[in-house]
Amino acid sequence: MSTAIESEQTFVDKFPDEARVVRAAFLSSFFALLLGAIFGIIQTLHRTDVARIIPSTDYYTVLTAHGVFMVISFTIFFLVGLFTWALTRSLDRPLLNIKITWTWYGLMATGMTLTGISILAGFVDSIDMSADVLYTFYAPLQAHPLFYAGLTVFIVGTWIAGADWFRTFLAWRREHPDERIPLQTFMVLTTMTMWYIASSAVAASVLLFLLPWSLGFIDQVNPTLTRTLFWFFGHPVVYFWLMPAYMLWYTVLPKIAGGRLFSDPLARVVFVLFVLLSTPVGIHHQYLDPGIAEGFKFISMTNTMFLLLPSLLTAFTVVASVEYGARQRGGTGLLGWLTNLPWRKPEFTGMMLAGLMFAAGGFSGMVNAGMNINYLIHNTLWVPGHFHLTVGTAVALTMMAGTYWIWPQISNKPIYSSQIGLFQVVLWFIGMALMSNAMHAQGLLGVPRRTAEPEYSGFDYPTMFGGFEELNIQIAIGGTLLFVSTILFLGNLVLTMGNPKVSGLAEPLPSPVSGAEDAPQVLDNLRLWVGIALTLVVLAYALPIAAIINRGGLLGPGVGTYPVWLAPLFDALADAAAPLFGAVADLSASVVEVVR
Amino acid sequence: MHIHAYEKLWLALSIVLILALIGTVTYGAVGPGVAMVADSQSTVDAAALDEDERFSEPRVEQVGENEYEAYIVAYQFGFEPSPIVVPANSTVTLHVTSRDVIHGFEVVGTSANTMAVPGEVSEITVETEEPTEYGLVCNEYCGAGHHVMEGKINVVSQSEFESRGGDSE
Amino acid sequence: MGQSEAANAPTDDVGGEGEDFDPIGTLTLIGIYFAILVLAWVYIYFVEFLGRDLVVVG
Ligand code: HEM
Ligand SMILES: [Cu+2]
Ligand SMILES: [Cu+2]
Repeated sequence: MSTAIESEQTFVDKFPDEARVVRAAFLSSFFALLLGAIFGIIQTLHRTDVARIIPSTDYYTVLTAHGVFMVISFTIFFLVGLFTWALTRSLDRPLLNIKITWTWYGLMATGMTLTGISILAGFVDSIDMSADVLYTFYAPLQAHPLFYAGLTVFIVGTWIAGADWFRTFLAWRREHPDERIPLQTFMVLTTMTMWYIASSAVAASVLLFLLPWSLGFIDQVNPTLTRTLFWFFGHPVVYFWLMPAYMLWYTVLPKIAGGRLFSDPLARVVFVLFVLLSTPVGIHHQYLDPGIAEGFKFISMTNTMFLLLPSLLTAFTVVASVEYGARQRGGTGLLGWLTNLPWRKPEFTGMMLAGLMFAAGGFSGMVNAGMNINYLIHNTLWVPGHFHLTVGTAVALTMMAGTYWIWPQISNKPIYSSQIGLFQVVLWFIGMALMSNAMHAQGLLGVPRRTAEPEYSGFDYPTMFGGFEELNIQIAIGGTLLFVSTILFLGNLVLTMGNPKVSGLAEPLPSPVSGAEDAPQVLDNLRLWVGIALTLVVLAYALPIAAIINRGGLLGPGVGTYPVWLAPLFDALADAAAPLFGAVADLSASVVEVVR
Repeated sequence: MHIHAYEKLWLALSIVLILALIGTVTYGAVGPGVAMVADSQSTVDAAALDEDERFSEPRVEQVGENEYEAYIVAYQFGFEPSPIVVPANSTVTLHVTSRDVIHGFEVVGTSANTMAVPGEVSEITVETEEPTEYGLVCNEYCGAGHHVMEGKINVVSQSEFESRGGDSE
Repeated sequence: MGQSEAANAPTDDVGGEGEDFDPIGTLTLIGIYFAILVLAWVYIYFVEFLGRDLVVVG
């Protein structure tokens, strides 16, 4: 551990080049947050009919922008910044080649700009470009090719980022052959492993089907296949968003609370469980899809339910670490220690409130995961209600709170105002409590998500937990508070950037109560975990995907027109694959019978 | 590896919870008999629905005593037939497909809810009770007019259903 | 883990030595959470979901 040196020097003192990358990534992230929040408030006021400043047909351009900027851009740019910091800090060595680092940052920024342009062009009628397909881009709705191309470039950027971190780790390993992987580095490597597995499917979907199709090379695609490939990626991606928050909860929050991480081994176990289980579950987003056997849905559900385990364990470990801190600070009693915590610090209160909301999100997540109860809430406003608790608060609020702690480390500038920070995180909590709660309730009334005008002419919603109108008011007020909170956060950060540099801001991270030496060596065996993860993915997906292709064909049920220059290749592929798919499908049919 | 006794206790409770959740869902499947939309129907050519014997004529038809089948097409931006009229106190099997993009099919305030995917057919069976009217909405974004895509499901008495000539258009 | 199974009073000095620390407060909080989860699940599954019209039975 490098605690002695760190107590004098901040991250930026030691690693100025890396700190610049981290700041650039964070600023890209926060720019996306600003755009996302602007679109967020527009759509909130629109769908609740409080203020409609756009025509309803433009609502979906706004919604696409909100979704993409928030969950692709804001979260992932923050992640790459945080991981660059964490890996460099915990290995205590610079990245191998900072030019490569800037290259992946540049690719991500370029890709996101292209995608952003294709989305925003949807507002301008005179530009013949639009990508109103929402962030899930389900075919056969088709976006402009630039949308898919930009996403591809962005994802390739993240892949190079992962490679950059792995290479740096391997260089460290050569210098330290016998040491345990430092915890933060372990978190970076396991998360990126998961990301490689997950993003391969969306890359395949975009490169093999959606991009060629949008360019006119192929005439049609199989909607169930591309949807399945999306969710192969789409569930693990939620853990990709979440892992930066977990990293902060495990490694930074205990320190702020005045204590230490309760258990390093359990933290490792949790991240390994995510590598293993976060991918073979995506079919839980397709419980109500036709063309997928019930047995596959059931398998997906069991995996999903077991995926609760790492999060439930995290809840215990993180709260115990905070309790440890409180008791170190003189806290007593069964719950009295709760008063001995640094509630005035926005970084602490923000993360704690984020964790509390995650606990609530855990409940709605269990409902989403339950196979047949999905009929109750599928595609209703319940679902956005759920994920604004998880990614929209557990992740987003932790990232904002984490920024209050980390920004001084990467810039040597103290936060402009802790009071504004504290007010801002509490405001977010209140706003989200209102908005999310009312969204859940409207979902139970049957109000659909993703719609500009949820009031219909032919029927009225039933009244439970307050009527439709009343809940709309709650959503509108909540959304407004969230918007104000975002602006306060960004304003505080901008003012911070105007602060003069000072010294003495270094905050070393203490070692855990139960340290790495207590963790079985096998936990660090990444090859083993990758092997098991891939096996589970194949078990969960080979048969469903084979069955989908067997039912509808690679390019969808119906007549297909193939582009001339690609046709021979596709024919050859299809000929070669047909018997194989047939065999696999027969096998799958019998397996399904057994499972039933 | 050292794990604190309390954390072991929590681990055990967590596993109990997970098993209980899976158990509840399984109970729902075997007790009340909730079934999932699955792959029971063969695929269909979305571009040639008028040549498919199931969907060439969207309708509700009687197939047995108190047993009915409905064939419903979702399209940008509506449902056919409109309204969907079904008899009370009967078992109705709904077959839903799409003529163009992916849509949703949600009977508001009930647990009848499914996707409508071009090329695929969603089959769900429900039991109707007293005569009533339900709202029907598309709950999957399907294009710029998504928010106007709605329909009705009218549950009418058996006699009224018959006097309409059985089928609804 | 033998020693830590004998719960210490939470007021005990926990300075430095993590082995002596028993997160009884955490156990309490998470126990409350567990109870809420179970109750909420029972309500949403059996009352909200199974109590509705048009349950899909086939
Ligand atoms: C300024 C605060 C925010 C407001 C006012 C807001 C509001 C909303 C509303 C009302 C919807 C539902 C729209 C609909 O389904 O018709 C929505 C969707 C969504 N929000 Fe937010 N939100 C905010 C912050 C966030 C954050 C921080 C994230 C994630 C990091 C996020 C991610 C999403 C996603 C992924 C969707 C779904 C988009 C889709 O259905 O395609 N939001 N937001
Ligand atoms: Cu998921
Ligand atoms: Cu629609």
